[in-house]
This record gives sequence, C-alpha cells and structure tokens, in this order.
Amino acid sequence: MRHAFTRTILVSLVLLALSVTGCKKSTPTSNAGPTNASPGAKVSYTIGMSQCNLGEPWRVQMNDDVRKAAEAHPEIKMIFKDAQNDTLKQRSHVEEFVSAGVDLIIISPKEAQPLTEPVAKAMQAGIPVIVLDRRVLGDEYTCFIGADNKLIGRKAGEWIVQTLGGKGNVVELEGLMTSTPGQDRHSGFRDAIKGSDINIIFEADMKWLEPDARKEMESALSRFDNIDLVYAHNDPGAHGAYLATQAAGRADKIKFVGIDALPQEGVVYVKQGILAATFQYPTGGTEAIDMALKILQGETVPKEITLGSRVFTKDNVDTGGDPI
Amino acid sequence: MAPSDERTGWRARLTSPTATALFALCFVLLIGLIFSGDGAFYKWSTHRDALRQASVYGILACGMTFVIITAGIDLSVGSVLALVAVAFSILSIHKDWSPWLTIPACVAIGAACGATSGAVIAKLRIQPFIVTLAMMVFARGLAKTISGGMKVSTAMQRPDGSWTAAPVPDIFKAIDSRLLGDNISVVSLIFIACIIVSWIILARLRWGRYLYAIGGNEEAARLSGVPVVAMKILAYSLAGAFSAVAGLCQAAQEQQGDPEAGIGYELTAIAIVVIGGTNLMGGRGGIGLTLLGTLTIGYLDKILSVNAVPEASRLMLTGVIIIVAVLLQRRKD
Amino acid sequence: MYTMQAVAGPTQTDTPLFAMTGICKTFGVQQVLRDVAFDLRAGEVHVLAGENGAGKSTLMRILGGIILADHGHSHVNGSEVLFRNPRDAANSGVAIIHQELSLVGPMSVADNLFLGHESSTAGWLHQTGTAQRTRDVLSRVSLRIDPRRAVDSLPISSQQLVEIAKALALDAQIIVMDEPTSALSEPEVRNLFARIADLKSQGCGIIYITHRLEEIYTIADRISVLRDGALVATRDRSDLPPDELVRLMVGRSISDQAPRRTVTCNDLRLRVQHCTVRATRAGVPPIVSDVSFDVRRGEILGVVGLEGSGVSELLWATFGALANRATSEITIDGQRIRINSPRDAIDAGIALVTNDRKRTGLILGMDIVQNATLAALPQLSPFTWLNHSAETSLASQSTQQLSLRAASMRQHVSTLSGGNQQKVVLAKWMGTNPRVLLLDDPTRGVDVGAKHEIYLLMNQWSEQGRSIVFSSSEWPELLQVSDRIIVMHRGRIVASFEGGAATPADLLRAAMGSTRDE
Repeated sequence: MRHAFTRTILVSLVLLALSVTGCKKSTPTSNAGPTNASPGAKVSYTIGMSQCNLGEPWRVQMNDDVRKAAEAHPEIKMIFKDAQNDTLKQRSHVEEFVSAGVDLIIISPKEAQPLTEPVAKAMQAGIPVIVLDRRVLGDEYTCFIGADNKLIGRKAGEWIVQTLGGKGNVVELEGLMTSTPGQDRHSGFRDAIKGSDINIIFEADMKWLEPDARKEMESALSRFDNIDLVYAHNDPGAHGAYLATQAAGRADKIKFVGIDALPQEGVVYVKQGILAATFQYPTGGTEAIDMALKILQGETVPKEITLGSRVFTKDNVDTGGDPI
Repeated sequence: MAPSDERTGWRARLTSPTATALFALCFVLLIGLIFSGDGAFYKWSTHRDALRQASVYGILACGMTFVIITAGIDLSVGSVLALVAVAFSILSIHKDWSPWLTIPACVAIGAACGATSGAVIAKLRIQPFIVTLAMMVFARGLAKTISGGMKVSTAMQRPDGSWTAAPVPDIFKAIDSRLLGDNISVVSLIFIACIIVSWIILARLRWGRYLYAIGGNEEAARLSGVPVVAMKILAYSLAGAFSAVAGLCQAAQEQQGDPEAGIGYELTAIAIVVIGGTNLMGGRGGIGLTLLGTLTIGYLDKILSVNAVPEASRLMLTGVIIIVAVLLQRRKD
Repeated sequence: MYTMQAVAGPTQTDTPLFAMTGICKTFGVQQVLRDVAFDLRAGEVHVLAGENGAGKSTLMRILGGIILADHGHSHVNGSEVLFRNPRDAANSGVAIIHQELSLVGPMSVADNLFLGHESSTAGWLHQTGTAQRTRDVLSRVSLRIDPRRAVDSLPISSQQLVEIAKALALDAQIIVMDEPTSALSEPEVRNLFARIADLKSQGCGIIYITHRLEEIYTIADRISVLRDGALVATRDRSDLPPDELVRLMVGRSISDQAPRRTVTCNDLRLRVQHCTVRATRAGVPPIVSDVSFDVRRGEILGVVGLEGSGVSELLWATFGALANRATSEITIDGQRIRINSPRDAIDAGIALVTNDRKRTGLILGMDIVQNATLAALPQLSPFTWLNHSAETSLASQSTQQLSLRAASMRQHVSTLSGGNQQKVVLAKWMGTNPRVLLLDDPTRGVDVGAKHEIYLLMNQWSEQGRSIVFSSSEWPELLQVSDRIIVMHRGRIVASFEGGAATPADLLRAAMGSTRDE
C-alpha cells in the first residue's frame, strides 16, 4: 500500500513538473533579450508582448496581427509570452520584461486590478506600456488600445433593425453572461432595438460554445414557428444555430448575425452565405505596433484609442468589409 | 442478519436499480410535461433533439460504464474526443481520406489512448485517477499540437492570404443527418448501436462477466483464473474506442475539429453512469442503467433549455435534481 | 554501546507495574476471555503463550485501549485505571509494538518519535530541545543513526527499534511486543534481545508474545499460558519445562467431528520441489524456503503451522498466485508443468480454497451461479460467448452435490450463511473438476454441521481419486482427516507424521520449533 501511495505522489510530482515547465515556455520569435542599439547603425528596438491566454482563436489572431505588423519593420524585435490564463504568471512576465530592459511592453492583461501595479512599475522604470483590449486601473500606462463591445453590439442592433424593417422575432444567443464582453454585446444590442417592434422571443447563454448554441437553437426552433433572425454574441454561436436550423429545414427563413469576424471563421461563413452579417471585433495588433513605433521615435500619442469595427455582409465581403 | 427477501417480490422489484433509475427518468419527464415550453415538449421533434444532443454524452458514458464496473475511472474521455474530432477533421477535410479508412483509424487512435492508460493502470498498478488524468492532459495537448491550436474547419487559406471554404465532407453530412422520415438523428442511432454493443459485451460475453468480477473483488477474480491485466486493458480500450466514436459524432455535428471540444464531458459521462445506478465502487450496474441515466440527464438539459431557464438557475437546478435522483436510488441495505 | 548485557533476573517489588483481574470479553455469542488475571512486574519479560485463537490478541487489545473489556479491573502501579481509547493507555505508559509497524514512512526518525506529542510553545516547535531528547531516546535503544533520515529508508530491524524508542519517548513502562522477530534475521534478533535486556535494566516491563519455543526459553522471566480464553497457568520459566508448556497450551478435548475413512493411496499425483517464497521486504528471510512435498492419488495431506509459518504461502505458491516472488518445480501425474498464474494452475487441474472467502474467495455482489462458474467459464463460453443454460446447469449440478441450501440459484452470495458461502466456493472449484485440491482452513467460520459436511465431502473427493492438501487451525480434526501430516516452522518443513500416529501436542511441539526428543 505504501508503495502504491509513494508511486502516486511521484507521478503527481512528475505531472506537476511537466505542467510547470510547459507553462514556462515562452515563444520568442526573434532574438531573446534586448540588444543595445549600436551607434551609427539602424536603431533597433525590442518589444515584449505579454498575452494573457493563447487558448482562444481571437487572441491567437491578435498575436498574429502584432507579429505581421512587426515583420514589416526590420528594426523591431518581438518577444512573445503567453500567461496561459494565469494572472500571477502574467505579472511575472511583465517583471521579466522590465529586468531584461526591453524598450517597450505591449500587454493584453487578463485582469485589471492585479496587473495595474506591475504595469506602473514598468512605467516608473522608464519603459512605455501599451495596454491592449482589456484595461488596467489608474492612468500609469502610455496608451490604451481597445475595441468597444457595447458599440459593436449597438451597431449590430442597428443593422438588424434596419435589415428586418423595424419588426420581427429574434433569438439572442449570449456569450458567457458572467463575462464583460457578453454583458456589453447584450446591452449595446438591447439599447439599439429599443423603440422598434423587434421581439426577443428566446434568449439563452451558450457560453461562447458552438455545441451549446446548437442545442439552445433546437429548443427555440421547437418552441417557435416564426423566427426571423438569430443574433449570436460570437460567430461559432451563430454557426451552431445555423446547423440546428438547417437540420430543421428552416435555414432559408432565418438570418444569422454573429460577432468577431475572424478571417478564417466568421468572414468565411459570410462568404458561404451562412451568416447574413458579422461584426469585427478588432484585435488592435496592427495599431499597437504603429503606436509603438511612434512612442519609440519620441512622438506623442493619444492616451486612449478606440478601434473602429467593420461589418461583413454578402455584398462587401470580397472587398474586405465596410467600416462602421 | 434477517433473511432478506430476494429479487422476487414486488417490493424488491420496486427498489431494484432499474426501477429507481426508471423512476428518476419519469420524474424528469413529469417536469417536462408540466413545464412544456409552450407545448414544445409535446412535439416529437423536441424528443428527437433531446436524444440527439444527449447522444455524444451517452456514447462517452457507454465507455465509462466498462471502466466504472471494474472499479476504475477514466478522466480522459473528453480529451480523447477532442483528439479524434481533430484527427477526423484533418483526414476528412484536408487529406481527403475515404471514410472507410478514416473511421477505423480514428477509432484505433481512441482505443490506443485507452489501451495505454489501461496498461499503465493494470501493469504498474497506479491509480486510474492519476493515470487517466495524465492521459487527459496529454491527449488535449496532442489535439492542440496536430491542429496547430486552431479549430480544424472547412476554412482554407489561399496563397494570397485570403480565406475560402472547402465543401463539408459527405461523411460529416451523413453522420449529422436524420433517418426514418426525419424522425431520428443518425448520431442517436449510433448511440443506440453503442448501447447494444456494450450490452452484448457486458451481458453476453465472458469478458463482461470478468469485468464485473474484477470490480466486485479483484483478488478473488485473479484467484479464479480471471486474466485481470488483460481485462483492465480491455475496459480502458473500450472507453477510448467509444470516446473516439463520440469524437466522430462531435466533429460531424460541428463540421469542424475543435481541439477545445469536450472539456468537462468526462464529468457528465460519470454523472450519467452514476445517476443510472452503476456503483462507483465497481462490480454492480449495467448498460441499461446507463441508457436510463443518459435519457434522464438529456431530458433534464432539454427541459431547462426549452423553458429558457437562465444559466445560473440551470446550474442550481441540475445540482438539486442530480442529488434527488441519486437519493431516490440509494439502496436500503 | 553494542554490548550484550546479561539477562537480568526479575526485580522483586511489592506492587506490580501492571495488573489485570477478572477480565471477561464476549464477541456475539462467543466468549473469548474468561476471568483472566494477569500481572507484569517492573524489569521482567513476561511471555504470553497460547495457540491461535486462544485470546492473546484480544487481551492485548484491551490492554492497549483499542477495545473495552466487559468486566474486570486494571491497575497501573497500584492505582486503578480504565483505558477507554489508545490515548488513555499511552498516557498510562502502555506501548504496543505490533507486527505491522505504525511509523509514518516518509517522515524523519525524529518527527516520528514525537508525532502527536511535539514539544512546542503556542505551536512553535522546540527544535533544540527536541534534538536533545531524540538523541537520548535513540541512545537508550543503542540506535546510532541520523535522526533526520526518513524511517522507510531504514532496515526493518532499525524501524522496530525506532518504534521502541518512540515508546520510550512517551515514557512508556509497559511495552507489549507482538511477534517482534517474525521479520528479522538471526543477528537482528540477537540485537533486539540485547535491547530488551537494556529496557529491563531501565525498569520497563515487557509483555512478549511469540510462537517460537526457543525464544520463550531465551528471553522469558515468567510465562503465562492462555487456552480457549482462560488463563491456565502463570509460572517462572524455571518451573515450566517445554513439554509441560505444550501440554498446557493444547489440553483441550478432542471433538469427534471428523469421520475416519479408509482409502488406499496409490500413485504419485503432485510433487512440489524446492518451493521458495520471498518476503515482500528485502533483507528478510524467505517466508517459505526450499520446501518439497509429495501427494499421492486420493491422499489427504495435512499441513500444519502456527501463524507466520508459511503454510498459506506454500499453498498460494503451488497455485501460481504468488508468481512474482515464488519459485518451485511442480510435477503432476509425472508431467512437469509451469505454473505462472492461477489460470495455469486451473488448467493443470489444481484448485485453491483460500482461508478468507470474503476477501479472496467470493465475488459478494454476484449471485450463486456466477460465482460457481467463474473458474470454469472458459469451458462454458466458446468464442467468449456466454451460455446461460450451461452455466445454470453446471452450477446446480455442483451445488446439489454439496447440498447447498439457498432460496434460488440467483441469490446473491452476500446473503448466504458462512457455511453455504463456503459451499459456493467449493462448488466453484468442483466445477473445474480438479485433480488436486488445496484447502487452506476450509472450515474457518462455518458452523458445526457445515464443518461435518465438508469433512464428508473431502472423504468423498479422495475416494474419487482426487488429492487434497489440507491445512486447518483445528488440529484435532486435521489429525483425524489426514492420511499424513507435515509441520512447518519458519518457512520450513520440520516434521512429518502418519495420520493417527500423532497427537495435537506432537504437532504443537514441532510447530513451535522444538527439536524432537525421541
């Protein structure tokens, strides 16, 4: 018995060790560590990028956007770190960037409160910080770049009111309603349809998951014979609803609207005619590198940058969507 | 010890695991009849959909039943599902393999994952919890590795960087279709086939008897000539193979292989088996009970969904109803 | 430090260190202790002797506060005490050192010594004081090791000394040692005895339980004999010669439950040669060492030994159930066979009825048919497909022969009486039509009627030409049933008798390791 117990402990330790080493893996794409600018040669900058979680396609996209934008500037060297949804890990990533003496930090924080102080410390050490997507508290950062979920929800609502001619039955499939994006995409949408004759006949939390969206849509379909449109808080949710509707043979009668518009996901669904529209939730990756260059070259930049969104519909998808 | 009446009298029959599992299902169905979601519960299509969405969980629960009967546990079923969903999507969408090759290959992947866990558990005598936890982490990692961390969908990148959609493979459409005049989903038929195969193994084959014997008393089984190591490997391989079948159904229904699919499904599968009345201590239970457990959980989920119960209340109600169902079938020993 | 001290004689004091009087204990309907009086003086080793089941361990469990006596009084240093739990006993200076040590393996020696009694102020451990006390108690048992070492990195003999040191750290004066030498090698035993002598000189009293005659006469100052729950004698060692001790231990009436029979034993059936079973821990002598025996067709061979003698392990090893730590050469009907697993043994026509049907014999959650056919299932299910009617008919056939009484063949075996459960185990093995039956105490825990039936069945099977290897804790009956008896002591065969030519006392003398004085 004692042997079995010891063995269990050993195996647990090995597992733990594996997960720890797995976590420590950061992904430097170019030379790790800062390189000092050699006098006379082209100025070289090292930028550290701290991503809170690479488990979501949208954040993978954000890193891709940053990487692509940086590749256009040979003087920039990027160091990427993935905190794997662990606040404390992200905190230490920021501290590591400071002690390595990078020239600028881009952070997409997991949570505001715990990351405020490390960001402030970096600022005090003379390193400018660009905060992407989610905020930190106070004003000790150089520049915040983010999209406005509430605005996007409102634009989607306005588009829907317009498309349905001001009246109709709508199913709302919500993202995780305990999360801020879910709440904002909900309240912005509700603000926009206020005063119109649009009825929300069915709403359910599909937790951003496609199978759950499909399940909830099936319930809506069996309860209601007249559904005009489905508004889902993300594209996979809209796609799951479409699959349920298609199986019920009612796909030609119902329109689907999603949010996010990732190039390989929502945009393709629009091209296929599955979604009537999808609203881009921009990553800000490209803008972050633009701002970074300006900051590093001594220009002043605005403290707050709210990203614009784009709408993709059948008509404009091949031309890259329209700004809203 | 009083002479206990054997399973012959009506009283004994009413307290048998099958009767109590049936009672729990009827209880849930009664809730559905009362809260019918504007009459949606009286439509066949609602029941057809309830069965469809319960099928993936049910298939996982079939595999879990074998393992739990041997007094083991398999936490890796959700991750194996994701691994197979990704592999199935890559092979079907991007490699254009024939389904006749793809499906056996995917089931073999699942069975191999299970056989690995089983061999470590049986030969090195490490607790199933820790071994299958390791397999759960490993299979998830492997799914993310072969998919590059992205969903494997029909979206394809052109050389110029823009995206286009490939056609959905026929095998996906076939699995995600309906038969008998649109009245039953193919995934539900696959689930029923899994139930039948499991029933044959557990009730009609020597292997099944051996699995019960190992769960009831491993040492006595060994001393009666039961090949304990081989049978444990068999149980975990079956769990892996059934997870693979569930993975095929998942991929076909999502039209993509999501490496993040199936997170938390192992807990649902365990809950189904236990609510059915199969004992976590091993040696008792059966596949009929797992069928009843699947229907109970599936209908509960459906009833909450057609009534558009808010998520927070759903979680609480599900917890309460699971406890009530388990209390109902606690045996008065 | 490692000097052998002469075993000091008992120091006479007026009040004994510990005394019990009028102790009675009943489990269910069985009275296991009757009016036992027992005392222990400071500075003596008091050996408690008795056959298996005589009540020794129950008495020690009462002393240790694990169970309560029904009646009786206990006194420590003259004042009355009542041990409601092990902690009460420990506070009165009682320490019991079991065969299974109770140390926390991964923890250090020092931490183990004071576990649960750490010296501390407001939760803050006194490091330096503890280190000093650790050195003190370890030197009292002459153990020179680094107290920071993990206990499970020490050899078993040192662990035992740590256990004794732990008792001393709690100021224990009354130390019970239950078969402390069973896992020790010869030099380790000598060292242990030297430490016991030290403890005596420090004023401790030691109650020592053993089945080994030579140990009793090396170490005892006084000897008490328990028999069937009653204390039959307490004498100084010099007043109790070995023959007398054995006579006192056995002296019970011989029941006439086992019928005699006349079977002629013919050709050689089973030959086991050089059977050795290693202990589970390294460095400990083997549990069975180089044992060889023969059984003829239709013969009943009795195997006798006290606890820990290796009888059960010999039977398990013959059945291939200890494959990873047993070696032997087995020949059946002149054919050399390899047995690496129970399946091999079953295929060779061997059956094993273990001595604990609930743990190792039955699947309690299964019904009679499923249990009765488990061993014979491969024959009943071609291509692994079960044949329910064949199963039921085999099970009914074999249970009818054993006159099993059950409401239905689908009854769960957990609801059967002990005797009927044992018949299901026997039916399982008769279903395989065995040539050799290994029966390890098959009448344990069954009522008198069922016991008689089992003996009749054994006669019947031997008349059918089956060979039986039979061990039992009830020696008078074993003497009546067996054609021949071999006696084991410390893993070896030390004597053999023809059936009917021996008495229980002969068996006991041999089983305790006495060299026969003929």
